[in-house]
Order: sequence, then C-alpha cells, then structure tokens
Amino acid sequence: MSMLEIKNLHVTVGGKEILKGLTLRVAAGEVHAIMGPNGSGKSTLSYALAGREDYQITQGGISYRSANLAAMSPEERAAKGVFLAMQYPVEIPGVTTLNFLKTALNAQRRARGESELDAMSVLKLVRQKAGTLQVSEEMLKRALNVGFSGGEKKRLEILQMAVFEPVLAILDETDSGLDIDALKLVADGVNALRAPHRAMLVITHYQRLLDYIVPDRVHVLAGGRIVAEGGKELAHELEAKGYAHFAKEPA
Amino acid sequence: MNAAAIETRRSEALDNFHTRGMPHRRFEHWRYSDLRAILDAGQVAQSGTAKWQVESVPDGVELFDLAAPAEQAPEWVVRYLGTVGNRPTMKEASLAFADGGVALRVTRGRKSAAPMRLQISSTGNVRLLLVLEDDASLTLMETHASDAGLLRNVGVEIVLGSGASLSHVRLAPSAPKSITVEHIGVTEARGACYRAHFANFGSRLSRTELHILLQDVGAEAHLSGVMVLGGEGHADVTSHIEHVSGGTRSTQLFKKVAGGKSRAVYQGKITVREGANGSDSWQTAKALLVGDRAEADLKPELIIFADDVKCAHGAAVGDLDPESLFYLRSRGIPEREARRLLVRAFLEEAVEPIEDGGLRAAVWREVEEALSRAMVIVR
Ligand SMILES: Nc1ncnc2c1ncn2[C@@H]1O[C@H](COP(=O)(O)OP(=O)(O)OP(=O)(O)O)[C@@H](O)[C@H]1O
Ligand SMILES: [Mg+2]
Repeated sequence: MSMLEIKNLHVTVGGKEILKGLTLRVAAGEVHAIMGPNGSGKSTLSYALAGREDYQITQGGISYRSANLAAMSPEERAAKGVFLAMQYPVEIPGVTTLNFLKTALNAQRRARGESELDAMSVLKLVRQKAGTLQVSEEMLKRALNVGFSGGEKKRLEILQMAVFEPVLAILDETDSGLDIDALKLVADGVNALRAPHRAMLVITHYQRLLDYIVPDRVHVLAGGRIVAEGGKELAHELEAKGYAHFAKEPA
Repeated sequence: MNAAAIETRRSEALDNFHTRGMPHRRFEHWRYSDLRAILDAGQVAQSGTAKWQVESVPDGVELFDLAAPAEQAPEWVVRYLGTVGNRPTMKEASLAFADGGVALRVTRGRKSAAPMRLQISSTGNVRLLLVLEDDASLTLMETHASDAGLLRNVGVEIVLGSGASLSHVRLAPSAPKSITVEHIGVTEARGACYRAHFANFGSRLSRTELHILLQDVGAEAHLSGVMVLGGEGHADVTSHIEHVSGGTRSTQLFKKVAGGKSRAVYQGKITVREGANGSDSWQTAKALLVGDRAEADLKPELIIFADDVKCAHGAAVGDLDPESLFYLRSRGIPEREARRLLVRAFLEEAVEPIEDGGLRAAVWREVEEALSRAMVIVR
C-alpha cells in the first residue's frame, strides 16, 4: 500500500465543488509533482490534505499510512508527519517566529509521546537549519511572517519543514516569488529531506524547480481531476505545449 | 480655607447624590451598565466603608488617613479633597458616605522609583486622594481584593503638579457577585504626565470612569487597558479626556476579550476645548469575542472646538482569524493552545505600555488565569 492514497476525492469549498474525483497515489521514498492551470484545485488539494475545516470532503477519501487522514484534526496530521508549505503563509502579529517554532515543535513531539526540547536545544536546532537556508537571526525574532517579503515567507516555510522533519511534505508553489539563489537553497533543503521513509508532493507552475527537485512522477491537475500523468519528461512537454492540450484528455 | 470646607463639600455631595438618583441606562453614559436596575440609593448609603492598605510608604511620600477628624487634615487635603475633576453621582456618593480612605502626597521633586502598592478590600465606599507636587514622580499599583460584597465604590482624585509624573496600574480581579465602581478624576498642570493601565476581569457590574483634565501646555495622558471576561462578567471603562490647553497629548489603547455571556464596554470621549490648538489625541479600542453570547460595546467620541488638532480614533469588534488558527494548527499546535496564543498576541500591545516589569508580569498572571475562565470552549 502506498503512503498516500487519494481515491475519487470530491471537495467542496464555499458551496462550490472544486475537486471532482481526484485519484492519486504516492509511495514512500517518492517525489511527485503536480502541475496545472490557475484555479484547477491544486491549493484546494493541499488544504484538504492538511485538514482545513472549510474544505469539505463530500465523496471519496484519503488514506495516509493506512489511516483515514480525513478523520484527523490538522494538529493530529502534523504530529503524524504531514506538513504543508503554504502558497500564502499567514502573518501572525504578536507571536515571534522563534517562539512559534518552539511551541509547534514541542506540541508535535508531545503528541507523539516524545520528550519536549528546552529553549536552548530548540534555539540550537533552529539556528543550524536557519543558517543553511539563510534565514537571519533578526527574522527569527520578528513576529511570524509579519512584514516578511514574499521570498522570506517561502524560506521560512522551508525552515519549518527542515525543523519538523515531516514524513509527507506538500509544497504549494514554494518556488513562486523566489529568486534563483533562493530557489536553489530551497531545492537543496527539499533534497536533503529525501529519504526512503518520506514522500513529497510538489505543486508548481514551473519546470525550473523540477530541474533541481527531480520528481519520480508528474501529474496534471485540471478541472478538479488528474488528467494526465507521466515521468519527469511530462513537465517538459507541458512547458512546450501548455495545458490546453491536456485539459480535455481523461487520465 | 479650613476643615469646615471639607464638611461643606460632603454635604453638597450628599445633596447631589439624592437629587440625581442612581445612574441608569437612560443616562447617556450608563447605557451599557444599568446600575439602578441592581442597586438602590439606600444600599449605597448603607454599604459601609471599604478598607485600604499601603504596604510601605516610600521616602518623600506623606500619608494622611481620611478616617481621622477633619480638623487634623493638612492644608493640601483640605485644598483638594472633593474638588478634583467633575462630580458624577457615584463619586459624590463615595465622598458623602465613606468614613475613611487615604490621602497621599509626594513632595516637590521627589522621585519614587519602586512601585507603591495600595490594596483596596472589603465592601462599601472609600476615597483616595493623590497629590504629586511639581516634578515629583511615583508608580502606584492599585490592587483590589475580590471580597467586594454587594458594592465597592471608590472615588479617586489625582492632582499632578507641573512636570509631575504618575504611573498608575489598576488591577481588579474577577468579582462575579459584586458591583464595583471607581471614579478617577485627574487634573494635570504644565508638562505633567499620567500613565495608567486598567486590567479588569469582570464583576456583576464593573464601572471604571475617568475624567482627565489636561490643564496646561505639554500635559499628557496615556491610557491602556485589558479586559478578559468570562461567565456573566461585565466590565465598563468610560473615559473623558479634556484637552483644556494647547499642545497637550493623549493616547488610549484598550483591548478586550469577552467569552461566555460576558459584556465588555468602552466609551471614550475626547473634548478639545476652544483654544486648545495643536492638541494631539488618539484612541483605539478592540474587542475579541470568544463566546457565542458575549458582547462588546465600543464607543469612541470626539468633540472638537479648536483648530489644528490631530485626532484619530478607531474601534473594532472581531473574532479570532480562522486562517491564523488553521496555520498554527497545521503546524501541530492543538486548537486550544493555538487560540490562547492568538488571544495573548492580541492583548500584548495593550499590556506592553506598563513600564515596570514586575507590574507587567502581575497583570499577565491575572490575564492567564482569566483566559482559562473566558476561553472555555462550548461545543
Ligand atoms: N472559499 C471559496 N469559495 C468559493 N470558491 C473558492 C473558494 N476558495 C477557492 N475557491 C475556488 O476554487 C478554485 C480552485 O482554487 P485553488 O486555490 O485550489 O486553485 P489553484 O489550482 O491552487 O490555483 P493557483 O495556481 O492560482 O494557485 C478557484 O476557482 C477558486 O476561486
Ligand atoms: Mg494555488
């Protein structure tokens, strides 16, 4: 059985059906890319996986490591290793980034029955990861995402991924808004986490990211379903032909 | 002037109280706090005298016990007692019925760094007079015990001489069965500064009313406050700041968290009097409703008779932001903890202005305790 099995998933948001029978399997150790036109439901899929309450599953299901993911709260999913790097990270005034990282990491550890880390150990861990991602000490002291540039927010998402070491990482357009150097940093961060027991779902519009994070499979999402899938060469084909060519084809 | 002046003011106060009667919701500024519905004049008159206690009197601070015969009152007590600020009904009651209270004077130029603690306890009326002479400074921590019985009614008068500076923190823990009323009148001379923080955790009816007169150039008032209410708690902070003179400044920042069936009220009136040109004021009040049946009433009000005045005000009632909540939860922070984190973050800005670290910590401790009551999630 695959780590992640999404079967005939239908998701409704604000009374509108966005995902209309999406089926997708990701095995442990693999990296899958999802590409698709604006508004096709990519972020909707990522939110449904992370457990946003206003994203209602009306049909089908999601199993994650043989458990029913849809029945878990967002915090439960996080503790079990699901991590979503959001397309639009949320600004939270009044909560410093470092304090947030400590609270979140320890909450996950507690839920897994592991011992909590003291402030010093967290600081050490965060500093070490922040160094390689070029997240400054000053950013860690600021309120979470408040006033961060687009690229800084994305780097902070990846810093979180590095700190939490998830089992299933979903990256929703983490490459958008990144300069070339940052893109490489982020890709290195992702590649460093590649492991036989982990899987990743990388949502992107650009072939460029997939040059750095080479996917095992590429899926095309259009109109709320997967309409095509293939190897990494599919990304090149998309780049050349655009989506119009695929949108009509059933998967 | 002699001791008889005090007696005259007391009997005037008694007359005023009886003539006007109990404030009720058809009085403009008692709309959200209907005192007459739960208390009558006789109960106010017979509620006795509340107690006060000062831990230790710092050097340069003079104390006079108002329970002593009026003939013994020093000149400064005779001069000010019953004269500072306007004379609203319940403040008149505290003057008329209190058989005691405390008067404190910080003499000219004396700077008292360590906070002075004043504890108010028990039930009834009580008076407080605080006189800071020119260039004197003081930090006052006013704490309230929760044993207020039916009614605690406090009348406070504060006189700030030129260049005087007072930091005042008032901490009133939850007293769900009591009616707690406090009127604070402040008058400020040239360049004086009044910084005050009001931490309210709810009573059956809690009213804190301020009347501040910025009399002369450069006088400033900076108010901040938090309310954390749960159950059927009520708290009302009503302020009136008058910019009497030009070049005066005032700021106000109040944050409220209302859970359960509680009610949080803020009414802030600013008057810029004729000729008070170049005055500067702003006020912000924000409330977060964490209970389906909680209510917040925020009413900023500006009355301007001068030119070249800078005034800004704002008020907002809201819910916790669902996107922020989801973001935190998706990182593994359980819902309850995530909510707490966001509420704390919301309040922070209004607690921060407390300069003394120890007092700030004391307010946070009360906030944490109150949040546990206010944020019971009913599903
Ligand atoms: N709350 C909502 N109510 C109604 N429609 C919504 C709501 N949220 C999202 N949608 C719609 O769902 C569709 C899919 O949105 P989604 O964000 O999943 O697209 P996407 O594939 O991630 O697009 P992009 O490439 O632009 O990020 C869009 O048409 C969007 O307008
Ligand atoms: Mg999207």
